[in-house]
Amino acid sequence: MVNLTINGKQVAVEKDATIYDAAKACGIKIPILCHDKKLHPFGGCRMCLVEVEQMKGRLIPACTTPVTEGMIVQTTTDEIVKARKLVLELLLLKHPIDCPVCDAAGDCDLQNLTYEYKVNMNRFVDEKFNHEIDYENPLIERDMNRCIHCGKCARICDEIVSYGAYTFINRGIEAKMGTEFDGPLNCEFCGSCVSVCPVGALNSRPFKFKARWWALQKTKSVCSYCGTGCQLTLGTKDGKVLTTIYDENQGFHNGQLCTRGRFGYQFVNSDKRLTAPLIRKNGKLQEATWEEALAEVTSRLAAGKSDPASVAALATPRLTNEELFLFGKLFRGTVGTDNIDHSAGYAHEALTKGAVASFGVAASPAEIADVQKSNLLLVVKSDAYETHPVIGFEINLGVKRKGIALRIVSDKKGKLTRLPGAKTTVHAPGNEVALFNALCKSVIDQGLAVEGVAGLDALKAAVADATAEKAGVSAEEIAAIAKEFASAEKALIILPIGQGYPGHNAALANAAANLAILTGQVGKEGAGLLIMGEKNNSQGAVDMGIYPKGTGLNAAAIIDGCANGNVKTLFVAGENPVVSYPNRAKVEKALENVEFMVVSDLFLTETAALADVVLPACSFAEKSGTFTSLGRRVQNVRKAIPAIGLAKSDFEILNAISQALGGARYNNQGEVFTEIAASVPAYKGLTQAGLKDEGAVYPVALAAKLVPAAAKAAAPAAGKLALVTGSALYHCGTMSRFGEGPMYVCPDAYAELNVADAAALKVEEGDQVTVTSGTGAVQVVAKVGKRVPQGVVFSPYHFGEGSVNTITDGAEVTYVSVAKK
Amino acid sequence: MSNAPAEEIPAEEIDLTEANEVIDKYLKLPGNLMPVLQGIQDAYGYVPKPTIDLVAERLNVYPSQIYGVLTFYAQFHLKPRGRFIIRVCVGTACHVQGAERITETFFGRLGIGHAETTPDLRYTFEKVACLGACGMAPLAMVNDDTFGKMTVQKVDEIIETYNARPMK
Ligand code: SF4
Ligand code: SF4
Ligand code: SF4
Ligand code: FES
Ligand code: FES
Repeated sequence: MVNLTINGKQVAVEKDATIYDAAKACGIKIPILCHDKKLHPFGGCRMCLVEVEQMKGRLIPACTTPVTEGMIVQTTTDEIVKARKLVLELLLLKHPIDCPVCDAAGDCDLQNLTYEYKVNMNRFVDEKFNHEIDYENPLIERDMNRCIHCGKCARICDEIVSYGAYTFINRGIEAKMGTEFDGPLNCEFCGSCVSVCPVGALNSRPFKFKARWWALQKTKSVCSYCGTGCQLTLGTKDGKVLTTIYDENQGFHNGQLCTRGRFGYQFVNSDKRLTAPLIRKNGKLQEATWEEALAEVTSRLAAGKSDPASVAALATPRLTNEELFLFGKLFRGTVGTDNIDHSAGYAHEALTKGAVASFGVAASPAEIADVQKSNLLLVVKSDAYETHPVIGFEINLGVKRKGIALRIVSDKKGKLTRLPGAKTTVHAPGNEVALFNALCKSVIDQGLAVEGVAGLDALKAAVADATAEKAGVSAEEIAAIAKEFASAEKALIILPIGQGYPGHNAALANAAANLAILTGQVGKEGAGLLIMGEKNNSQGAVDMGIYPKGTGLNAAAIIDGCANGNVKTLFVAGENPVVSYPNRAKVEKALENVEFMVVSDLFLTETAALADVVLPACSFAEKSGTFTSLGRRVQNVRKAIPAIGLAKSDFEILNAISQALGGARYNNQGEVFTEIAASVPAYKGLTQAGLKDEGAVYPVALAAKLVPAAAKAAAPAAGKLALVTGSALYHCGTMSRFGEGPMYVCPDAYAELNVADAAALKVEEGDQVTVTSGTGAVQVVAKVGKRVPQGVVFSPYHFGEGSVNTITDGAEVTYVSVAKK
Repeated sequence: MSNAPAEEIPAEEIDLTEANEVIDKYLKLPGNLMPVLQGIQDAYGYVPKPTIDLVAERLNVYPSQIYGVLTFYAQFHLKPRGRFIIRVCVGTACHVQGAERITETFFGRLGIGHAETTPDLRYTFEKVACLGACGMAPLAMVNDDTFGKMTVQKVDEIIETYNARPMK
């Protein structure tokens, strides 16, 4: 610790602290413009000048100067104030004073400091900048006339996002913040640069002229897209979500979001939202009252009580824990059926079956904080960035700032593979389990297995013939990864799971867990296995038991049951099986066949359109409750706006049905959480109030053991391409299609081909192509690049039109032919 | 140099062999970006856009940062340059001695302005500040040849001389 005095106050801080940090630690505010706690110090703006007794005669920038023992610092002498005023005058020389029409007004550091330092005139005059404003993309407006050259946008895009869109271009008076060839911005649109820009040079276009900053009501909540569980602040006015607000003190991610969290909120106020219940009359869905709709649903379910096996229910893991708990209680308890599931089964079997077998808990042994505490990250699929972009930021930071080694095993390359020092092993699609088995064998062969692990002999036998060759990878590579992983002080495996990744199932979770257990990389921080659930509450849905536990049907069997008539009543809370479950034609036929289907959703989805009763549900912005993110963090979701139209939250819907069927009735969702805390062991002792803003990571007691995992032999079909499905960076599930932001950037389904395959097929970027499998054919736009290896096609699964589940049937890899339309 | 907006950069298909050779040469060297870019400029006479993308990919640097470097240093050129670079000094001494008339005459004769290149790629014209030979003001240079005490008539002679020179 270093002791120093600031404005007469004694303070002791870590020795790598700066004067700015030290002042902050003792509650003294030093004004900054170019400094950001998340970024490398820059020292460019000179706003933070202070006086140091020991360095008399000049003013010192507080943000870049390290503390030294006995330093005596003054932060606001007359001379300092004069210097800061001069800095502001110089900045205002070129900066247009267009605060009345600037969206940053009220949230602008330059404006606030000008006010604070009372800079009401300027001793200098000069012409203003005359840069063209970049309006080329729909999300971010770049008005470089307002730029104060703080460099924060370029630093965050490089240091955290690792996209590197910006750079200072030119020199001297002509210098400006620009892009390659000074062209329009064309990046991944995460909005990180907008959030850190201290002025109105970078603006969110969807928010442009929507509201003055000070007129916004601000509600802290949690993003409702992916399982990362980023905290966000919703800016609302007149019952509408108008923007997401950056708060650098929110969450492990310091307020950073990905493009979905930052620009995908518009689905809440979309004019496509359902605003009234619908009942099918004479074959057509027609508006009805809640009484009519609920009466119809409850009478159906009441009848189903006498034959519970004929009732089934599917819930989306986007619901709150409270809603899911009530859902389980209603169907398992009151109705008496075990036919309940979410996300087509396989998307969470890595947790409910895989993690349970390997670790004794249906959760990841690791949490998000472990990413940066590790020495080696072994990422399964480069897509981990696409599925969970803000975890991607953590990986970027860990690799670039802390020098964490990064190993990727993937069927294609991706953004992560470009990180400094990253080593990527590209394997044939569907070979993940074989690869992990080969790694385990190599660990054993190299004598790197820890002594006395339970189940070692069985594993040895099971992986005896697991060769690198079977995984389609060189033996040297397998040996090298096995060695590095085993000898790293702390090594962590990152495994994204979700509906786009049918191969990321229980067997893969076991295979990956085996490697971690075998090498002793579990039960310590920075190590283990982080299973990343796809949706905002994937982990919560598992915790609330939304999967068949006894002899009940899982999602795939429920669809079959609908088709063969065993399932007569189907309750669907927010799922969209028509687009997201494998084999669209089969799913559609089954849902058309089921006697009675009720769907609660925000939108008239492809599935809701087939229902007999449609109930308009609320988005996350219209309700309170909790979500549990990957890595087991339970967080508060807070109601920010009243319900849209006549919509009701799934809590209200389920509560009303439960009561009508003689089941439980709650006065509010908070009561359900109290019951969760009392009956779900992991949640014991938690209260919603106690979760506060930061949430709580619930503990797990691991009982790790080796569980042999059988690798399926992939059977490539001659002359065909291997189709792998997954997530596009800009989307998550099928909900992001209703957010303007994601749809502007990535509007259509596509198939990504390797340049060589594309050339052989005479397909060019942007061409319409037909992709045909044994299951069906679909038309999509072609993308051509080097990301996917030869022989592989990648297609994201989010889209209703050209939905890739038209041609998949739940297999890990689908062999297809591609032809130009 | 002044920045070149994307639309002004000719979309071109170029042979990347030489650029790849330059990159191969410096691949293992730490801090190799500058020598690579200099080598490419030597090989092509300027830094063509496709080579920037190539360098970005092979050295794993953001293309934007390469562009930042290229626009920071006056030595780099993003557009093809003429075979003969005409530099006319407009520093104080030359200015006083009538550099203005000299530049104007070049502009008139060649049909190009400052930092521009003739369509046949024979000449690039640049105004520069003090060339350090103020005694000979007004001063012009063509590649490495120096012409002191410039006059309008000498402009015509220079153009005639260099028009006669071969392009390679
Ligand atoms: S939006 Fe994100 S990727 Fe794009 S420039 Fe800004 S920080 Fe970089
Ligand atoms: S655009 Fe904003 S963040 Fe970027 S340098 Fe300018 S003022 Fe700073
Ligand atoms: S989609 Fe996921 S990574 Fe992106 S902001 Fe939301 S929770 Fe974070
Ligand atoms: S904040 Fe310290 S120099 Fe900019
Ligand atoms: S001013 Fe022209 S050479 Fe010095």
